[in-house]
Amino acid sequence: MIWVKLTFGGMGRRFVEAIAAIMILAATSATVAASLMVVEGARNALNRAIRQDRPDIIHVKSRFNRALFETPRSGNLPPLTIPVYEPLIDPADLEHAAGNNRVIRRQSLFRNVVSGDSFLNIYVFGIDPDLEREVSSFVLARGRFLRKDDRAVAVLDQASARALGVDIGGAFPIRKADGGDLELTVIGILDKLELRGAPPRSAEAPSLNPEATDVSSGAFVDIQTSEDIFGRPTLTDALVVARSMSAVPSLVAKLQEAFRLEPGVFVTERYSQYERKVRDFVLTLAVFTALSVATVLLAGTFAANLLHDIYVDRRRQYATLMALGCSPAMSIAPAVVFGLVLGAAGSAIGAFVAVLFVPRSFAIPSLMADLGTTQPALDLMVAGSIVAIGIVAVIVGLAPTGLRLLRQALATSLSEGRS
Amino acid sequence: MTQDPFVSVRGVSKTYRGERSTVGALRGVSFDIRKGEFVRISGPSGSGKTTLLNLIAGLDGPDQGDIVVAGTNIGRLSMTQASKYRAREVGVIFQSYNLIPQLTALENVLLPMIALGRANSDRARELLDVVGLADRSDHNPSQLSGGEQQRVAVARALANDPALVLADEPTGNLDDQSAESVMVMLTDAVRERGKTLLLVTHERDRVKAIDRSLELRSGVLSSYQIELPQEGVS
Repeated sequence: MIWVKLTFGGMGRRFVEAIAAIMILAATSATVAASLMVVEGARNALNRAIRQDRPDIIHVKSRFNRALFETPRSGNLPPLTIPVYEPLIDPADLEHAAGNNRVIRRQSLFRNVVSGDSFLNIYVFGIDPDLEREVSSFVLARGRFLRKDDRAVAVLDQASARALGVDIGGAFPIRKADGGDLELTVIGILDKLELRGAPPRSAEAPSLNPEATDVSSGAFVDIQTSEDIFGRPTLTDALVVARSMSAVPSLVAKLQEAFRLEPGVFVTERYSQYERKVRDFVLTLAVFTALSVATVLLAGTFAANLLHDIYVDRRRQYATLMALGCSPAMSIAPAVVFGLVLGAAGSAIGAFVAVLFVPRSFAIPSLMADLGTTQPALDLMVAGSIVAIGIVAVIVGLAPTGLRLLRQALATSLSEGRS
Repeated sequence: MTQDPFVSVRGVSKTYRGERSTVGALRGVSFDIRKGEFVRISGPSGSGKTTLLNLIAGLDGPDQGDIVVAGTNIGRLSMTQASKYRAREVGVIFQSYNLIPQLTALENVLLPMIALGRANSDRARELLDVVGLADRSDHNPSQLSGGEQQRVAVARALANDPALVLADEPTGNLDDQSAESVMVMLTDAVRERGKTLLLVTHERDRVKAIDRSLELRSGVLSSYQIELPQEGVS
């Protein structure tokens, strides 16, 4: 009880100043917290862009064109023309242009497959299983995924498997370019599928996500099997993963140069968009950091000054404690605890206000055009900054009193303010 | 047989440097005090009495010379060591009491005990009883008269049973009646406990049973003499 009284008692007229200091710290913390929450939201948006958009990946793809598909021999239907990627990319040229960056080859085909008395459209993707899993997401429901040495086996999504009436161990025929059929044995059923740089959905086919505009289903085979089906090694598209983000522009230039004479091959990248997002983030960071710093300097200094007045008023108390035999640490402890409680109260109120009033989504189109709408977030960095403001204000407020107590003779401190 | 001095002051000088001037508060002061002695320090204002007391209490450090109390050289102690020294060896009574205003009389007396980590409310109440304030233990300093506040300060100075009690003009802020009773109470309480008392005062006649009298003039020890018993001084 004595320590509580030593810490908080006998405030007198300084009580009002203490309340004012709490309010100013709360306002400072709220402003800084809100600003930093926006910055954190922007940072999260940027990180999400890196994670989801993968600006380090360059997509090299053939033109999307109408191709002629013959109907199965057993059917009695006219041939179909359905838009697909044309296989125009020479893998050797691509590997040469990509240099030591990783190339993920793909062949995407489209086939009519006999299923019972009818036939249906199936997307067939020839992939390099190990590399493709690094950029696309495959969640297996049953069975196993493709391996590098697999031949004439396929992994299907659940919708395609259901439509084909096959399960693990079952087989279905795929018409090859030479006119013969290749029996593909099912080894795995996919529950979910997110194919990076998936082709546009151009025809009715079984789909895991009927709303999707891109292809979200199909039969996945290893690229050697798809070359057997396609009858050629040229690729419909490929992903080139740059070794570093900064290497993307030069890599894009090399790829464009390599396929300069092939008008049907396009090189697309998300790095430029990412760069614009980075620029938006830097601007957002600068604006809100400046706002935070200005607030801390103005309001924080005012709060520290109020605390300083309170401490000066109690300097003689701390000196008396030392004169009575309390250690310097013990004597100054009430001042430190008082300041920390004050700072914590201000910070907590400020954080609460910020969390309560900061909008769930935030956007300044003129500042964050490419970054778009962000979700302000209260994380450890923001919480730490708010706590730091309180602590710094207390340190600045207490430092002159503490230093004076420690540096000047105790007798002098005891005689100060004597009436 | 010569008794070792309990307090030994040797060649102590202290100068205060202001922005424009330098004041020599003490100049080469030397004297000894034996254990259990009552010593009065007197002298005109500005002669260095309070400075000397502050140096012996470890509240300030000498520029030159040594102050040894119970074998400890006070001038060489760190801040923490000086605090421990004050908690264990010294009870200081200030002219302006220096009571903590938000604490009760009892809690003020408890403070030195808390500094040593052995707070004892019963002993604090006992000491308040000795100074005649048993019934005012729950009062804050603002609810006590000047004389009563100084009595609380005396009880506080005796809280840790120190061997040396330093009193800096303890009656300086009191009216005659209160000053008389506080001085009697102080000297009786200290004498009964066999403590050494170093008392700074202007009022030569108010203090009875003084063993030695020390007079400072302009920071120099002008006389240090054994007091003879005074007749008729109450």
